[in-house]
Amino acid sequence: MNLPTLVFLAAVLAYPVLYAGYLSVHKVGLAQLRRGEFPFNGWENYSRVLEDSLFWVAIKNTLVFTAITVVSEIVLAVAIALLINQTSVWTSRVTRFLILLPYAIPPICNGLIWSFLYSFQFGFLNRILFSAGVIDHPINWAGNPDTALYAVTVPYIWRTLPFAIILVHAALQGIPRELYEQAAIDGANAWHRFRQITWPMLQQIIAIILILRTAFAFAVFEEILAITQGGPGDATWVAAWYSYKITFSPPNNFGMGAASAFILALMIAAIALVYLRAVYRRVQL
Amino acid sequence: MFKLSLSGRIALHVANLVVIAVILLPIAAVLLGSIQSENIKKFYRAFGNSLIVAVSVTFLTLLFGALSAYTIARLRYRWTLFLLQANIVSRFVPAIVLMIPLYIVMRSLGQINSLSGVILAETGFLLPYAILILAPYFDAIPSELEEAARIDGCTRLRALVHIVLPLATPALAACGVIMFIVSWHELLIPLILNARPDFMTLPVVIASLVGDVFVFFNLMMAICLLALAPTVVLVILLQKYIVEGLAAGAVKG
Repeated sequence: MNLPTLVFLAAVLAYPVLYAGYLSVHKVGLAQLRRGEFPFNGWENYSRVLEDSLFWVAIKNTLVFTAITVVSEIVLAVAIALLINQTSVWTSRVTRFLILLPYAIPPICNGLIWSFLYSFQFGFLNRILFSAGVIDHPINWAGNPDTALYAVTVPYIWRTLPFAIILVHAALQGIPRELYEQAAIDGANAWHRFRQITWPMLQQIIAIILILRTAFAFAVFEEILAITQGGPGDATWVAAWYSYKITFSPPNNFGMGAASAFILALMIAAIALVYLRAVYRRVQL
Repeated sequence: MFKLSLSGRIALHVANLVVIAVILLPIAAVLLGSIQSENIKKFYRAFGNSLIVAVSVTFLTLLFGALSAYTIARLRYRWTLFLLQANIVSRFVPAIVLMIPLYIVMRSLGQINSLSGVILAETGFLLPYAILILAPYFDAIPSELEEAARIDGCTRLRALVHIVLPLATPALAACGVIMFIVSWHELLIPLILNARPDFMTLPVVIASLVGDVFVFFNLMMAICLLALAPTVVLVILLQKYIVEGLAAGAVKG
């Protein structure tokens, strides 16, 4: 019964990953692709990637992007999950109903919608801030090298936050009510109840979110493509964008693309191993 | 309350549908009117492609995912544990790593510029996630029921089809809707495997318009509406299942 799964895993996941490793130590360009033979060139692709200053810019941007999105997502997810857990407040119930909506927006559309919001000439953001008197001239949010990387984190957080909120909310509902009642009798205020009960009970799920979101934020692609295409200059080149551009735009260096993607995969694999150890240690199901 | 007869229920269902249709009529007219301008019509084809891909991927991942998740939940051997772990690790493989070899492999198989290549690639890419969502549900179904059936002479496959799957309908719904949404949203795989407009899915069409100075924001937003409408409707209607499925795929196990 596992045959189809094994075939698919082998054909679409295992074989390509190994093949990517194979390609990454061979010279593969359009000419080689047409002829169908890839000359071996050892570590040359890797050394060329590692010597490329743009690659290190991409890695730095990826790390900054990941740090900002993961930290803000965890803080926001805990806050919003606590908010929608207040079922006696009717606006909380409305929020809870709407919370999943960003999950329904295709990533590429999300990027486009935000690039519309950020637009220098007719973006909503500039218009609102201008009307409110916060700024006196329009700001080019996604077109300024100083703000562009931060500008692309916001749509990404907006789109992926529901996932984190749902996990935290599910964990909150697993905390026995008696604990809070007991604490209230003992005279604990709201902060103490959060610090002594909620936070310790949430730690496991927060670790899971931390690892999952870090792994996925490392491979961010759609929002970059839709909003900045890596620009202005190299301000928003991230690792996945680097591999994509090196491979699929002239001069189409497939070997170097595979090498850079492989480096990215190794970094994510390290995160995946941590996840496996942390979460599925008692993998009894 | 008294119990309604079957024909009575059907009559009430029909009456409800009529009322709902009348209430939604003007809203549907606004939405359909806004996506029926000449500029938008050429994106209907991409919409159709997206639909074919998403439905096929959902079907295939459910079919193969259910088989594997069942064995992982029921047969406790060393290799099923290994299979589970392989699936967990696979979920972390970033699409960009697969793209370059997939492009070359699909090119040599003649699957570039076709929907079937995209469907196969996405199915393989999403299968581990489907298994991770389904396995905890199957594990929660009491095994006594199928054991009884097996004593009566049922094969494992028949027990799965006739006993476990009907009980697991909520799981299949949760997994199916998540698979549909993820494959509907997938950009990178079809972007790289399809260069011909005839076979582009909606996200690819949208990506190809990015940076085109002759395409205005209002047209882009209209296409986005076309692209996000189906999944938004799904999320609103099937919220409960999605919430359960997302939680199951991430924590249990």
